Amino acid sequence: MIHQYKLGDYNIVLDVCSGSVHAVDEIAYDIIAMFESADRRTVLAAMGEKYPQVSLEELETCYEQILGLKQAGKLFAPDTFEPMAGKLKQKTAGVVKALCLHIAHTCNLNCSYCFASQGKYHGERAVMSYEVGKQALDFLMEHSGTRRNLEVDFFGGEPLMNFQVVKDLVAYARSVEKEKGKNFRFTLTTNGVLVDDDVIEWANRECSNVVLSLDGRKEIHDKFRVDFAGNGSWEKIVPKFQKFVEARGGRDYYMRGTFTHANPDFLKDIEKMLELGFTELSMEPVVCAEDDPSALTEADLPVVMEQYEKLAQLMLKRDKEGKPFTFYHYMIDLTGGPCIYKRISGCGSGTEYMAVTPWGDLYPCHQFVGEERFKLGDIWNGVTNTQVQDEFAACNVYAHPECRDCWARLYCSGGCAANAYHATGSVTGVYEYGCKLFRKRMECAIMAAVHRALGE
Amino acid sequence: MEHIKTIETRNLCESAKNGGCGECQTSCQSACKTSCGIANQKCESK
Repeated sequence: MIHQYKLGDYNIVLDVCSGSVHAVDEIAYDIIAMFESADRRTVLAAMGEKYPQVSLEELETCYEQILGLKQAGKLFAPDTFEPMAGKLKQKTAGVVKALCLHIAHTCNLNCSYCFASQGKYHGERAVMSYEVGKQALDFLMEHSGTRRNLEVDFFGGEPLMNFQVVKDLVAYARSVEKEKGKNFRFTLTTNGVLVDDDVIEWANRECSNVVLSLDGRKEIHDKFRVDFAGNGSWEKIVPKFQKFVEARGGRDYYMRGTFTHANPDFLKDIEKMLELGFTELSMEPVVCAEDDPSALTEADLPVVMEQYEKLAQLMLKRDKEGKPFTFYHYMIDLTGGPCIYKRISGCGSGTEYMAVTPWGDLYPCHQFVGEERFKLGDIWNGVTNTQVQDEFAACNVYAHPECRDCWARLYCSGGCAANAYHATGSVTGVYEYGCKLFRKRMECAIMAAVHRALGE
Repeated sequence: MEHIKTIETRNLCESAKNGGCGECQTSCQSACKTSCGIANQKCESK
């Protein structure tokens, strides 16, 4: 399977199964489009008609080049991966390598678009105790097999509302990781309200990554990200985030924004983030019910698509000006990215990744917390709801019938199970709106990678 | 005349032979938390 598209100044041909990417001229682009459906003579005759100024010899040369790529497995490579789809999960069955610790099911902001319903996840407000958190870390170490790198994300709600427990848990993990042969990588996700020098110093020492929530322009951010009195948080958090990021001294961070129906023109928000001095950026489409006023609509779709293209152009322009920035979804490493096992295995939720509630219950991921049917078990007894876990274990890219014909399937691995469930009622469904955005992002990311690879 | 420029990429078919160590990051763990993208993940064994 191939995917052809034109973007920027490029005609791009992606060979889906080999992962090969080709930048081609118009003639090659047209020949490739016909290559599998017509014989050589028909193709050359059609090209002779379309390009009368090009000699038959030249057209034949181009045809031969394409044939050569096919023979080398770099064009029209077949999908032979399906039998391997469950193998990685089988091999690592029972192994957990990442936990999302819901350290606080409460928040000091009241963002109406929050998928976690202001941190409460449709339940009671609560904070995780040290004992529960410690047991969660022990559970992770015990169930991580030979896996050395263990990821733990402090999430909420707002985790800094329970900062002492966060610090104590990290101290505990550091005290045992060496003897257990593990390496913890901590991430803190925060809305910034409680960020102070103590938090900055601690996070820069202990967290391999921090995710800082900022939606961009003040008027956009303050539309949703308000406190319980309705006051916007932008003025309060931006100086803190600037200080935080400066103090990180090159360690990973993301400014993470959400865009909604209120700002499908989110490029302006990205530009605001850049203006504020932030360069590691992530901007995500809102996740909410279709009838929510902040939900993206069909009418927003062309606007959003155009924004993604303009974002890629802005990225390349800033490269040239020596002011590069990173957009999370445009990070693509064509030479060193994930292997095929990773690409077909699905996202890992419910198997290698789980979320832990303040009470120690296990869920397939943070987005399923509060959906009682998906409760997997708890950190004391492990996974007891094997039926739900099996559902997630089987949720690889080939489990989604719609993905079979999609060229982007090896870039999303079948997509987000929570999005699929909320859109269709099944974790093996697909959230088509999200797929459209994802495909556009991948087209842009690949185009930017081509531009960079060609040194243009 | 050069009609095709092939960009250097990891050969996915080849990666079937030596991949699958599973050390890589869980898919949406670090930044977005609301979608699944794997193309932007680092391979830990390369």
